Amino acid sequence: MLEQILMLSRVQFASTAAFHIIFPMMSIGISLYLFIMESMWLYTKKDSYYRQLRFWMKIFMLSFAIGVASGFPMAFQFGTNWSGFANSAGPFFGNIIGFETTIAFTMETTFLGIFIFGWKRVPKLVHLASNFLVLFAASLSAFWIVAANSWMQLPEGVHMEAGKVIVDNYYAAIFNHDTIVSYLHMWFACVEATIFLLGGVAAWGILRHRENANFRAFFTSTLKYLTVVALVVTTLQFYIGDVSGQTVARFQPEKLAAYELHWNTNLPGEGAALHLLAWPNSTGDGNAFEVSIPNLLSILSTRTMTGTVPGLNTFAPSDRPTIAESVTVFYSFRVMFAIGILLFLLMAVSLYYLYRGKLAPDHILSRSKFLYAWVWSIPLGFIAAEAGWMVREIGRQPWMIYHMLRVSESASVGLNALVVGIVLGAVVLLYLALLSIFVFFVRKITLKGPDLTSPIH
Amino acid sequence: MITDALLPIIWFGIICTELALYAILDGANLGVGMLSLFPQPENKRSLIIHTLGPIWNANETWLLVAAGSLFGAFPSVYSIMLNALYVPGMIIVVGLILRAVSFEFYDIGDGSKVLWGKSFGFGSLLTVLGQGMLFGGILSGIPIAAGRFAGDPFTWATPLTLLITVGFFFAYAVVGYAYLVKRTDYQLTHETFPRIAFTAALTLVALLAATFVLPKTNYIFFERWSTPPSSTILLVVAVLIACAIALLTYATIKRKNSGLIYYLSLAIFALGYLGMLVGTYPYMLPPSLTLFDAASPASTLRFMLYGIGPLLPVIFAYNWYLAHVFRKESKQEGSSMYA
Repeated sequence: MLEQILMLSRVQFASTAAFHIIFPMMSIGISLYLFIMESMWLYTKKDSYYRQLRFWMKIFMLSFAIGVASGFPMAFQFGTNWSGFANSAGPFFGNIIGFETTIAFTMETTFLGIFIFGWKRVPKLVHLASNFLVLFAASLSAFWIVAANSWMQLPEGVHMEAGKVIVDNYYAAIFNHDTIVSYLHMWFACVEATIFLLGGVAAWGILRHRENANFRAFFTSTLKYLTVVALVVTTLQFYIGDVSGQTVARFQPEKLAAYELHWNTNLPGEGAALHLLAWPNSTGDGNAFEVSIPNLLSILSTRTMTGTVPGLNTFAPSDRPTIAESVTVFYSFRVMFAIGILLFLLMAVSLYYLYRGKLAPDHILSRSKFLYAWVWSIPLGFIAAEAGWMVREIGRQPWMIYHMLRVSESASVGLNALVVGIVLGAVVLLYLALLSIFVFFVRKITLKGPDLTSPIH
Repeated sequence: MITDALLPIIWFGIICTELALYAILDGANLGVGMLSLFPQPENKRSLIIHTLGPIWNANETWLLVAAGSLFGAFPSVYSIMLNALYVPGMIIVVGLILRAVSFEFYDIGDGSKVLWGKSFGFGSLLTVLGQGMLFGGILSGIPIAAGRFAGDPFTWATPLTLLITVGFFFAYAVVGYAYLVKRTDYQLTHETFPRIAFTAALTLVALLAATFVLPKTNYIFFERWSTPPSSTILLVVAVLIACAIALLTYATIKRKNSGLIYYLSLAIFALGYLGMLVGTYPYMLPPSLTLFDAASPASTLRFMLYGIGPLLPVIFAYNWYLAHVFRKESKQEGSSMYA
């Protein structure tokens, strides 16, 4: 019974978190795009920027609404399903969640009201400021959430006393060694995923409105602007990802060993190999097969040819991810990395076309393979982010708070598996419905196309 | 200088204020949402829903702010309460989800307006009922042993909870009607005023009945009613509620001063809330968990206070600005960004 409830609670948290995260990611990414458009509009006074702003705002509102809605269970679940964790970690974790709602979320909703509904009611600069504050607050929100999670990865600045966390040093706890790099990694992931979402929708819009020259011009502009942003983001993300990997290597060696399926510590003078593909053997202490590049894991983790990388076998099985969990994070990591490369390549091709003047309404239709590549890239950034979070969270198992509180000690008590199961079923159904409705409405908005004629406020 | 002993009380005060703000700001929205379920022409429903457009989200935020503050400042209350009230908690969550998305979908979905209108109303209704169950569950008493919840998933389902839930339903309806009368031309003429009086009367009946059941279930409340000074305060609160109801009845019979009706209904809300606080202080989860037992270490409370305290006035300021920007609204049409 307890095992069942624990598993159901894990599935519930994982599925709600996996679904929820898609939409705040869009909120950050789209509000950045909208802020660039509104600034350019006020600076150049060109209507085309205003049209971009108004059209993509509709998608933004949709994503924001679903983001808020799907976020409710997140905060509540800590109490309902993980009351052991909430009780122990509350003095730090709850405090940070409180900061997120009080400092960031209130700001976001208030200025969103002005941004969306305030067109004729506030001066243009106040409107631009509201746009910026929506972006700022959404990013700040993400900061607090990532800080809270990073602290679960590296609980610095605290100690446990009678089952409760006592904070000794807030600065050390909030800005633990994982926070900044993970936050940047996530923030760039938000922008990167959104670029390919918007660009994919724009490419689809071009394909769907072949005969309409105005719409074609509109969506082609979107692709152009996004390509410029993508140049910065897809490139920097590799660097940040590398720093993030080194942070894991330094502070959570079990996790690194798990997502590399690296079983035995390399001997002195020998480098650790990086496995491109691998599968564990039946005894669970090594790989049945592996395709490897010699020394690469040592180089990536320690920046030396033969640096020591501890293997999974050096950790007690009860204190590290299980074999199934290790295989999951191994392949999740590779999915994330492969998508990073694909998106970088698509950006490079787009940049080449932009440079050659092919990203123009008259030429774009002859590049239908290129447009379809953008359309197919719509979900990729989000899949990469999900895969990355799976590495992060499953790789921390069996710990809820790393080396401090186990997942099995964190669950609620007195629950009934049937009740939890019913709630889980209801929430999953509701979320699937929301996702379908989101796709349906985005399709509808795009088919209708931008409004290019209304008077400008 | 703020002493360590004072910190839990300060945080208790802040959270109560946040909850009261939530009840006042979102109470009307929830009430209006529930009322939108009643049969009426779609343009009326559209007017109702659009009245809330720019503000509902910022209002609702206060619930999350209160929840966040509670999680940080009183983690035991947060964890034990939601553990014990798993079912009401999840009902609220589903209600909030439905309400939040329906709002946007209502505007975009030309062909599906009726569906989203219904789901908006239904979401509001679930949220209200869930809140009734939550408060009822807390007042019914939450068994705790060794710092963990010691009941089953339906311990909260008591006769008292039923009465309080019914009372919540009618109370939100009163505020909803009063808000519509104040903010729009909604059915101003003949129907609404008797409805206000009727729902107010039903609220009173349900909550009075709950008051009689309460001492049987919740011993602390009984003690507060029978010993001064709390008994005096409670008596004053009760008299004030009676006065407010009398005034409300008078105003609805006279059918004018819609602003007064709205503020009176809010006052009744606030006074009822105050009565509950006086009746249970310092217990946060009767019958055993006080705010002092549940509080986080002083270091956390102090850090949260310095982090959030200075910001509260700023939050008030920009919320006021939002309300100010949208003060003149919807005697006729509402706001729609998709229109």
